[in-house]
Amino acid sequence: MMGLGLGLMVLLIVLIVLFFVLIFMVSAYNRLVSLRNRYKNAYSQIDVQLKRRYDLIPNLVETAKGYIKHERETLEAVTQARNVAYAASQTAAANPGDPNAVKSLVSAESGLAGALSRLMVVSERYPDLKANQNMMQLSEELTSTENKISFSRQAYNDSVMVYNTQREVFPSNLIAGAFNFGAAESFIIDKPEQKDAPKVSFS
Amino acid sequence: MDFFERQEKAHHNTKLLVAYFVTGVALLTVAVYLASLLIFAGVASRHPRYHDDDGQAQAGLWNPQLFFGVLVGTLAVITLGSVSKTAELARGGSAVAEMLGGRLVNSNTTDPDERRLMNVIEEMALASGVPVPHVYVLDNERGINAFAAGHSTSDAVVTVTHGCLKLLTRDELQGVIGHEFSHILNGDMRLNLRLMGVIFGILCLAVVGRILLQMRGGRDRNALPLLGLVLLALGWIGVVFGRLIQAAVSRQREFLADASSVQFTRNPAGLSGALQKIGGLSYGSKLAAAHADEASHMFFSNGVGRSLFGLMDTHPPLEERIRAIDPAFNGKFPRVSVADGGAGLPAGQDAPQLDPAGSGGASLAGLAPPVIASQSVLPNLDNATTAHLHFAAALRASFPPAIQNAARDPLGASSLIYGMLLSLEPEQRNKQLQLLSQAASDDIRRETERLLPDVESIAANAKLPLVDLALPALRHFSPAQYRQFSRAIQTLIESDGKIDLHEYVLQKIVLRHLDPQFNGARKPVIQYYAIRPLVPDCAVLLSALAHAGADDAARAEAAFLQGARQLGCNAGAELAFLHSDQCDLPQVDAALNRLCQAAPQIKKSLLGACALTVAANGVIQETEAELLRAIADTLDCPMPPFLQSDEEPAAAGV
Repeated sequence: MMGLGLGLMVLLIVLIVLFFVLIFMVSAYNRLVSLRNRYKNAYSQIDVQLKRRYDLIPNLVETAKGYIKHERETLEAVTQARNVAYAASQTAAANPGDPNAVKSLVSAESGLAGALSRLMVVSERYPDLKANQNMMQLSEELTSTENKISFSRQAYNDSVMVYNTQREVFPSNLIAGAFNFGAAESFIIDKPEQKDAPKVSFS
Repeated sequence: MDFFERQEKAHHNTKLLVAYFVTGVALLTVAVYLASLLIFAGVASRHPRYHDDDGQAQAGLWNPQLFFGVLVGTLAVITLGSVSKTAELARGGSAVAEMLGGRLVNSNTTDPDERRLMNVIEEMALASGVPVPHVYVLDNERGINAFAAGHSTSDAVVTVTHGCLKLLTRDELQGVIGHEFSHILNGDMRLNLRLMGVIFGILCLAVVGRILLQMRGGRDRNALPLLGLVLLALGWIGVVFGRLIQAAVSRQREFLADASSVQFTRNPAGLSGALQKIGGLSYGSKLAAAHADEASHMFFSNGVGRSLFGLMDTHPPLEERIRAIDPAFNGKFPRVSVADGGAGLPAGQDAPQLDPAGSGGASLAGLAPPVIASQSVLPNLDNATTAHLHFAAALRASFPPAIQNAARDPLGASSLIYGMLLSLEPEQRNKQLQLLSQAASDDIRRETERLLPDVESIAANAKLPLVDLALPALRHFSPAQYRQFSRAIQTLIESDGKIDLHEYVLQKIVLRHLDPQFNGARKPVIQYYAIRPLVPDCAVLLSALAHAGADDAARAEAAFLQGARQLGCNAGAELAFLHSDQCDLPQVDAALNRLCQAAPQIKKSLLGACALTVAANGVIQETEAELLRAIADTLDCPMPPFLQSDEEPAAAGV
């Protein structure tokens, strides 16, 4: 009788330990999935504002065209940069957090920001354009949209950081490795004013 | 049945659920024990080691050690399973949506079908006085189905399938959403989540069984896989019990939710049409997701197929549901093919199909004077009605586009809140804007300034509904952004050294809905079942309301007495009218925090008393309305917006 009892106890302990392990694995997996979803959702907040910006820019270019006929290259550069950034954002939206997609988007966005700030510098020389109602409204909306992008980027980067940390700490890193939870890339842009044109205040 | 009775009923259902569950676990334990007995009897008869001194094999039905072991093992497995699932679900309604493969819909979406869905949901949320929930779409589901999940209105989530989005007309969509909102307002959601956690525990046995089947044991080579098989079989008994529990709890609620939806929209054709389309669609309301079983009691319609003799169905049959709301139904379902995308609308055409009641689409500043007749108070505490729906549609349409855009974006939404906290007096306002720059950032300050003219043009009684509209965007903050936001709000409020009612209400409502997400969900524990210990708090509340509505102490006291009478018999002589400096805002706050731990029936009589106090002098001042709204929100009782007295439901164009 004693032998039966002992064997049973051992069996029970083994079962319970196994179950603990199983539960832990499932919890860790679910937590990683939920953090991944969180940064993907955070990315879509950025994406909506990016799209809005890409929609505003052609209007801006059209408005400016009438006034600054001799600055064609500047305008074309903006349109070109906008198209590149738009394409990059499509790819990134399909794979939020994918390092390559985000890196291309970041560099495309830097290009666009640079082209836009050059346009703004050029517009300074055309007071008629500056006073144009449409132009003022568009640049106002552009600024507002950029603020929103910046704010959403902050939230996205925060959630990427939390996800990446969870991926790396023990013991979740075991699950992350086993189930292909790739590292996510932050969305960090250098301010164009620091790189190219002198700081332009348009407000 | 009113809101509080429904909450009590949901509470009662919880007890029923517990009873079923305990019975199920007990039966399972006994079954596992008997099975183990059989196995080990089989083992014992072959291994001489297990024979006792007489050389007889171990026999007998009662083996205390084995039973104890089985009991502990089974309970451990079930408890661990339930606890881990419940912990996972503690994240809120979004956990369920994501588990089923849901995609979060952006409030700024330009997709016409999604825009239409968001519009319907926003209108319904404003009409019921709850924050607009987050919305998910199940892209891979061709059937027509939906559910609402969450612990409270603060983390509620509404999910619809792709089929819903594409195949339903606006009216039908509204019927379905109305049904889901009924679940939100009834307090069904919390019970549903608890149910999910619990059922998962019973399912765990099946999982353990499966694992054991694959193990190679040592000496008990024959026993282990056999035990596994047995556990698997027993685990499926658990599934059956789980389904029984789900069915018992959810079936009659579906009729109730259907009825509430029709009462809300006054349009049985909408809901009936949706149900008929489910009947006529080949996919019906079936869900393909792997986890559909766990959540099947939460769906709008049956998502997992009919069970044997319909005993374990979580939903009543379609025909019965349709006949309950639309007696003229002829029993024939329309043929619906998936190619019928005709329900979608091109962008920009989604005008609310409800006529804004009587007062028309005129600017809402004209629609809503700060004084409202008191007859409209008491009905407010119960279900929202069609009149509220009309009002909400008109209200939403009346917000300037800049405000609507801002409310749907985290930065914009926070700027709106800051804007509402800014003083009207220029010097004070500049000081506040300075402080805002420091507490948040220059960009945020600029955005706030940009929106300020529009914010100031919003009617006073439209401000709190605007908060409801803005809350889902605020939930998109990162934790750091949320800390910055709550600090900034605090700074703005403290800037003038005093806190006024408007600021208090705004801060209370906003933080109350956001805190659970960022600082851990609050556990709604009921601590007070009798009103006696809470009488001083009730006195504070009623006195504060009385003072808010009257200029002089005499009138205030009269109003107080009206309300006190409602609480009268149980309250006793301690319910005394307080002087205005004994019921200032900090004291009201403390009283509210204690009162939210009271049982539903107490909250009901308290809110009734508040309503009578507010209605005592025949009109409701804006200050009273705001305070009442804050009280109702803190007590977890959604309160629809106040309507003008001449907007009787009968006149609201049924």
